[in-house]
Amino acid sequence: MQEVALESAINSIRVRFGSQALTRAAELPPSQPWSSRTPVDGLTGIAGLPRGRLALFTGNGTCGKLTLALALLANATHEFAHAIVIDGGGFDPWSLLPFSPELGALTVVRAPAPEIAGEAAAALARAGAGFLLLMCAVPEHWLGPLESGASRSGTVLVAVVDAPDRALAHASSFSLGFSRRDWIWDRGQMVGLRVTARCIKNRVAPPLGETELEIRYPLGNQPRSDYHAYVAEVPTPVEEMSRCASAVV
Amino acid sequence: MRVCCGLTGHLELARRPDLYGRPVIVGRWDEHVVAASEETSPFGVIPGMALRQAEHLCPQATFVLPDEEATARIRELISAALYDLAPVVEVRDEGIAWLDISGVATAGASIRSARHRLLKAIGREPRLGLAPGPFSARLAAARARPGRLLRVADAREFLAPLPSRELPLDAEQLERLDLLGLRTLGAVASIGPRELESQLGHKGRHAVLLARGLEPDQLEAWRPPLFTSAHRQFVEPVEDREALLFVGRALCGDLADELGLRGAGAKHVRVRLEVESGEPDAGRAQGAHSEIRESIVRHPLSSAAELFGLIGSWIKEWQPRAPITELWIELPVLEGAGRRQLRLWAGGDGSSEEVTAAMERLQERFGDEVIWKPSSA
Repeated sequence: MQEVALESAINSIRVRFGSQALTRAAELPPSQPWSSRTPVDGLTGIAGLPRGRLALFTGNGTCGKLTLALALLANATHEFAHAIVIDGGGFDPWSLLPFSPELGALTVVRAPAPEIAGEAAAALARAGAGFLLLMCAVPEHWLGPLESGASRSGTVLVAVVDAPDRALAHASSFSLGFSRRDWIWDRGQMVGLRVTARCIKNRVAPPLGETELEIRYPLGNQPRSDYHAYVAEVPTPVEEMSRCASAVV
Repeated sequence: MRVCCGLTGHLELARRPDLYGRPVIVGRWDEHVVAASEETSPFGVIPGMALRQAEHLCPQATFVLPDEEATARIRELISAALYDLAPVVEVRDEGIAWLDISGVATAGASIRSARHRLLKAIGREPRLGLAPGPFSARLAAARARPGRLLRVADAREFLAPLPSRELPLDAEQLERLDLLGLRTLGAVASIGPRELESQLGHKGRHAVLLARGLEPDQLEAWRPPLFTSAHRQFVEPVEDREALLFVGRALCGDLADELGLRGAGAKHVRVRLEVESGEPDAGRAQGAHSEIRESIVRHPLSSAAELFGLIGSWIKEWQPRAPITELWIELPVLEGAGRRQLRLWAGGDGSSEEVTAAMERLQERFGDEVIWKPSSA
């Protein structure tokens, strides 16, 4: 009897709000992570970025978060039919070229207003875009549709912001904070930076502390096989491991 | 080829889940038994025997009249439920569901989902078999416990000790096999196809191939239904928009009922108004006396509320030039509601069409420049 009543409630929700409004757990897309083949995979605790969840890269000023996001984006263009950038202004796709992206799979949504960015991100996540890179603020009321759309389709969502507002921080399932430690100089020329990447929130696995990355700016055109040279994990000395801290928000 | 088979019992029995656990016989008086529940087996009742004989053997059984239409609907619902788990899905009224999972990346997940969906559809745990072909998979499933999977790696080895009555032959042919001393599938497999063909005809050859695990039969892939429509002709031409909305809502309800029974959703919606006279609107006209409006929707519409949400908005803003004599709602493209085979694709390629459509919608709303595709040129 209870089962009939529950089934009736489910049907009425579907009738009122559409057949897609309610999805059974068994019908959800598989939760396999997307292996980005970057050091970020080691920090998520599931060996890749979570599908259908929002991953946040945060950090003030120049701290390597955008370079890492571009590396992920270039990688995604080779693995997904659609890798999409939601750009609020200022994204230059040619900055991707040193990472050898597959341009046929790349689309840039130029959103002049946060409202348009939110609607575009939610619509594309719901439609099943493989990878979405958010480079601008999304209004709070679009975060719910964005989350549910991505969750249904398994879209890999990455947002790059200096400092997330409370709603965005709450909506994210995995948050990585970047802070610059020092610059890398080579023969008097600045060629990159060393950053600390710290997992500050993780809903998909236990938080795994932090790591140190060496991010080298792409200089000239190099083949994609050299892509790992741009973002590399610096081995942490054993005595420093004991001082690694992690936190959950 | 890797085929998963789910056995649920005849779909005629699934119409009456309240009788599960009791002896049930489905058939018409003076005809043969269409289906019988497992509880009747100890009494010797088998499908195909005369109903009078079955009643004599098991008088305490509940007798149910068959309903081919309802069974076909259940079959369609199960097919739609399994559609996104494998490239080829076949469901038969006998309660057999085959999924060809060759090449499916997450075959284990597909089998688990198939089990859950069959349980939900039928209300009983299915028996599952996994084997190189449909015949061996069915026999493996028949030997599995409810809710469990029996895997078969080598079909010939698995089939060899099984009785030859498992072959799809009629009673007379099975008796001849018995007289020939071919009582196991291994014995049937050991003789040449031509030799048994000379005894039993074409079916003999087929039987040898089956017994050898060569799986000569192919699955017939289920395809989602293609087209449906509903219409209402008015005795007096209608001008009142409220009346038109009322009729539109009723037609949407009828269509939603039909879609629900078929487990389908509408991808393409077309509304046609037959008008009494006058020039039709430019851009909408197809015939001299009809006005048409249509749209392709991205997510299949399956409920009356969803259908009327779209069609009602059209009717509200429609300005027909003349009184309306007939209202048609056509759904030219149907598919399993929420059951496209997208998960069978890697890298999101399966939903590429949906993403492109979403981009086009954004361009319609915010202008072409909102979407930009960089090119190396």
